[in-house]
Amino acid sequence: MNIIVCIKQVPDSAQVKIDPQTGSLIRAGVPSILNPHDHFALEKALAIKARTGAKVTVLSMGPDQAIAVLRLALALGADEGVLLSDPTFAGADTWATAYTLAHAVKKIATYDLILCGQMAIDGDTAQTGPEMAYHLNIPQITFCESVDSDGQQVIVKKLIEGGHQIMEADLPVLITMTMPIDYAPKYPSFLAAHQAQEKPISIWKAGDLEADSHKLGLEGSPTRVSRIFPPAGRAKGEMITGTAEEMAAKFVEILKKESFIK
Amino acid sequence: MAKNDLITRNLMLDSLKQYAKNRISHEFLRQQDAKNEIPLDILKEMYDHDILGVHLLLIPEEYGGLSGQTTEIYRVCEQLARIDLGIATGVFATFLGSDPLNVGGTAEQKAKWFKKIAQENKLVAYGATEADAGSDLVSLRTRADRVEKDGKIVGYKITGSKMWISNGGVADIYTVLALAPGGPSWFIVEKGTPGFTQDAHEDKHGIRLSNTAGLAFDEVYVPAENLIGLEEGKGLLQAQAVFGYTRLMVAAFGLGGGEEAVETALKYAQQRIQAGGPLSEKQGFMLKLITPHYTRLEAARAYIDWTAKQLEVNNHGLATEGAIAKLYATESGNKAAEDAIQAMGGFGYTKEFAVEKIKRDVKITCIYEGTSEVLEMTIFRGRWQEHLKSRGQYYIKQAEELDAIHLQHPDVGADSAALGMRALAHILEDCRVQKLTRHQYITFMLGDLICEAEVAAVFAKQCAAGIVTEGSRLDLNSLKMMSRVTARLSAFKIATEGMRLILGVGGVAAAELLQAVNLTAINEKMAGLIEDQDGVSAKLREIFKA
Amino acid sequence: MIQVSEKCVGCGKCVSTCPFGALSLVNKKATASSACTMCGACVSVCPVKALSLPATATASQNDLSAFKGVWVFVEIGDDGKTQKVRSVSLELLSKGRELADQLGEELCAVVMGQGIVKFMAEISSYGADKIYAVNGPAYRDYNTAAYANAMITLINKYKPSAILYPSTYVGRDLAPRVAAQLFSGLTADCTNLSVADGLLISTRPAFGGNILADIKCPDFRPQMATVRPNVFKKAVTRPGTMAKIISEPIAIPTEAGKVRIVSKQFDEVTELEKLDEAEVVVAGGRGMKDAAGFAVLDELAAQLGGAVGASRAAIDMGLQPKEKQIGQSGVNIAAKLYIAAGISGAVQHTVGVEHSDVIIGINKDANASIFNICKYGFVGDARTLLPKVVDGIKKAKGK
Repeated sequence: MNIIVCIKQVPDSAQVKIDPQTGSLIRAGVPSILNPHDHFALEKALAIKARTGAKVTVLSMGPDQAIAVLRLALALGADEGVLLSDPTFAGADTWATAYTLAHAVKKIATYDLILCGQMAIDGDTAQTGPEMAYHLNIPQITFCESVDSDGQQVIVKKLIEGGHQIMEADLPVLITMTMPIDYAPKYPSFLAAHQAQEKPISIWKAGDLEADSHKLGLEGSPTRVSRIFPPAGRAKGEMITGTAEEMAAKFVEILKKESFIK
Repeated sequence: MAKNDLITRNLMLDSLKQYAKNRISHEFLRQQDAKNEIPLDILKEMYDHDILGVHLLLIPEEYGGLSGQTTEIYRVCEQLARIDLGIATGVFATFLGSDPLNVGGTAEQKAKWFKKIAQENKLVAYGATEADAGSDLVSLRTRADRVEKDGKIVGYKITGSKMWISNGGVADIYTVLALAPGGPSWFIVEKGTPGFTQDAHEDKHGIRLSNTAGLAFDEVYVPAENLIGLEEGKGLLQAQAVFGYTRLMVAAFGLGGGEEAVETALKYAQQRIQAGGPLSEKQGFMLKLITPHYTRLEAARAYIDWTAKQLEVNNHGLATEGAIAKLYATESGNKAAEDAIQAMGGFGYTKEFAVEKIKRDVKITCIYEGTSEVLEMTIFRGRWQEHLKSRGQYYIKQAEELDAIHLQHPDVGADSAALGMRALAHILEDCRVQKLTRHQYITFMLGDLICEAEVAAVFAKQCAAGIVTEGSRLDLNSLKMMSRVTARLSAFKIATEGMRLILGVGGVAAAELLQAVNLTAINEKMAGLIEDQDGVSAKLREIFKA
Repeated sequence: MIQVSEKCVGCGKCVSTCPFGALSLVNKKATASSACTMCGACVSVCPVKALSLPATATASQNDLSAFKGVWVFVEIGDDGKTQKVRSVSLELLSKGRELADQLGEELCAVVMGQGIVKFMAEISSYGADKIYAVNGPAYRDYNTAAYANAMITLINKYKPSAILYPSTYVGRDLAPRVAAQLFSGLTADCTNLSVADGLLISTRPAFGGNILADIKCPDFRPQMATVRPNVFKKAVTRPGTMAKIISEPIAIPTEAGKVRIVSKQFDEVTELEKLDEAEVVVAGGRGMKDAAGFAVLDELAAQLGGAVGASRAAIDMGLQPKEKQIGQSGVNIAAKLYIAAGISGAVQHTVGVEHSDVIIGINKDANASIFNICKYGFVGDARTLLPKVVDGIKKAKGK
């Protein structure tokens, strides 16, 4: 059985700070991490590998530095890595990203199961997985908390509004994974990190893919950012300062005035 | 297998950070510190192959280890120190304890003991220090008497005692320095060997999560095969061969402890509102208590990293460089922690914040593996020889090199560093002519000035080469600002302190000396110092948000 | 990489705007580094219009004039017992009505399911001119292949200009699958929708920052967006009117059988639903520090008959379970009273609460962004203030 896990390098949101003047991100000194939903998907793939001996390939699109997350994945137990890195890919929205990743999957050719994180925490769109599934002409199941496979079928626990459902699907299929609330990602031992250096990572350029070059990067992206701006906010309300006692009295008075205490 | 590359190193450090984040909270450290208890289960997990396996770095690949390079070992030391210096010391003791084996062991000995350490996750202790033999190992008292059978040496009986041994009470394997008939020699002693006992854990000022205990040997019999290298009298050479390296690791401890303290204080200052704005926006606060310390720590990082890369080429030696790295980094770390308390005021003085503990912990780095004074002496001795051999040209040559760098890279402070070097050359020469080195105090202080000059020079050279030090969170531009600050202050210190020393003894005209060390030129380069320091402050505020 | 023309005057505005730190001034001219992702964020801030994205070939070759009408995908909710139109679909119809009026086009609802005739009156009252109904037992449960096929069939047949989907598990599964096939733009989790020059402008928080981006899809149709619950207000605009119902029998494609539901389970009433519908919500952030801080919020909520939530920071600190997260990446609320205690007010949070009627913020930092959306802002430590407020409420009630 062959599993492909799609992963992305993202800035560590816990350490990202916002410039109060411009509202933009301060990326200086902010470390990059493996997107946690992808990390979870990878661990699920590796659990299937442990039971079935499946081969796990990790696939990422990004700048050359993104090779670090591939190495992390290899250190955690994946067998092979592919990095899609080419200036042509820059400016891709989810459509072009999914199209590019799908063509890399086609080049890898042998696959039964594709796992993705439900979304990247730096974009929060959750679109790339389903869009990839379309380009590969395979079914998808999104927002899954668990996944298992015997090599013929896949069985998942999928989130739905107000509950969950157990679903099964024939292979090949693409599954997007949602990490649980208390998810604590696994990290490799020093020995595993060392050994990952020996595992193969291929770097593919646009020319390595049998893709329509008009559908890559910016050109392949239907959406455009037309403006960015800070949130407007409402007209600033009444500001209350003073001792805790004074403010508490005022607080209760407001609750009465707005008739939240009857 | 290939050496670990930068990505691998960063993966290891990330794993270590994540482990600490999940398992070692400030509250936990605080409790262990109060109870004076060592977290043995944490050490065991750090040694567990499936969890971290930190100790594998020091074991050669052929014996199941990772053949860690100096760079990754110092970076791991720095990270460990940021977590807790007591835990760091426990891990480091295994590094240190294995070193005599690494340097002097036979292939069979390495195979036997390294495999044991690697596979059974053994804690190791380094048994050298005695009541009367610290850095001065020549006064060693512990004896190893030969046990002969049929005219052949079959073993040794070790008698004596050791003190302040890290992991002393908890190690499984000890490397012990004892005086054999052929001279000082290293022996491997396992816990549980009859006659070998360990004292109670010391009640220390800091690093209270590290076990420190005395060892007592009462005719402890070890077989001859436990003599490292199977040859008597090699002990001191084996010990000294690794000083450059081990001191670099303690330098990284000073760096890590200092950084953690300054960053904690700065993050606090970013949210502490004083007179309408955050404390971190106040220039006086930053330039007194935060910025100079972070600048010195970045200079230390550049020097440590440079030395590590040299050691990877030369393997051993570089005793003077190791001493410079340790002196500069640990003294800077110690002062940084002290001012971190000051920066946080009353909060800094309570145990609720980490800086109070860091301050107690980091002090040890100025003491173990050679006190700052021993290091000053070592540095002085090493470079005094160079000064004499080169007929006073040693630092003049370096000044010329820095002048050449300044022409190409006018923004790294190489001009000030060169002025510092020339002043230093003159002061050393004056000391030679006036025979001032008969004053021990002056030799200490010269060691300190040499340290200042060389760190500033390396920092400037690294910046000129466009190197952003591995592990630094700053960019090249900020490092250049820091390098300019470091070079100016170091040149000023060399000239003024040097003058004080020479004039303090008397016999030289002050006006002449003032001209000779070229203090005017050094002062003229001060223009822009405050601007650079303010620039560094702004960058630090940007990176270390609350 | 972004292109910088001769017009650049080196003002540096773009440098501070770039979310990726890819722009810097070299010789007083903006210069992009390899970190540039061509997101286009800088283009609009340049006062002299010196910045542009490279021209692309495929643009503007499409005939877009045939595409008319705003559609809303109306999702039928199912809690295992009864079916009902999901509230968020009605919110989208209400917003869709506004957009359609501005465009001078019609508003159409697309409904799929079994026995959906009973929902037609309700859907009509929220402003739909037409309802495309895909009815049948095979549409009872959501199936990606079946629903996507039906959407594509309808889009190809009727050519809408814009389609809005609820950002629910169903909407977020369906919309990207449809967008991929149509080669058209889809913007996720929009916090506002508007119309400019005949184009749909979708606004959403961007680049993980405290910043909003307007996103458009100028050259392809339909323009699509998903929107989370409680972003727009529901409004019955056509009470008693019935939309024109167009029944579309669409066969289920064979691929639909590749994915099968084995079982379904619904949670009793989740915290999520409670928060979603609560009239009073009290939430805590990083400033509440620990469990003791949240205990105070529990008490306050109990006094006011409200639910307790938390900011992303507090969730990350492990102070509250994930389902209590309020904001764009958690639950959006539209309460009568929202109290934000020790929450600084990142945009992900504020866009998820700003539709509440009365917002009270408590923060030590007088400059905290939460105060920008508050009717009342208390500058102080919520941990010391709120216990006194609870006492005060108890006293007031006792009288």
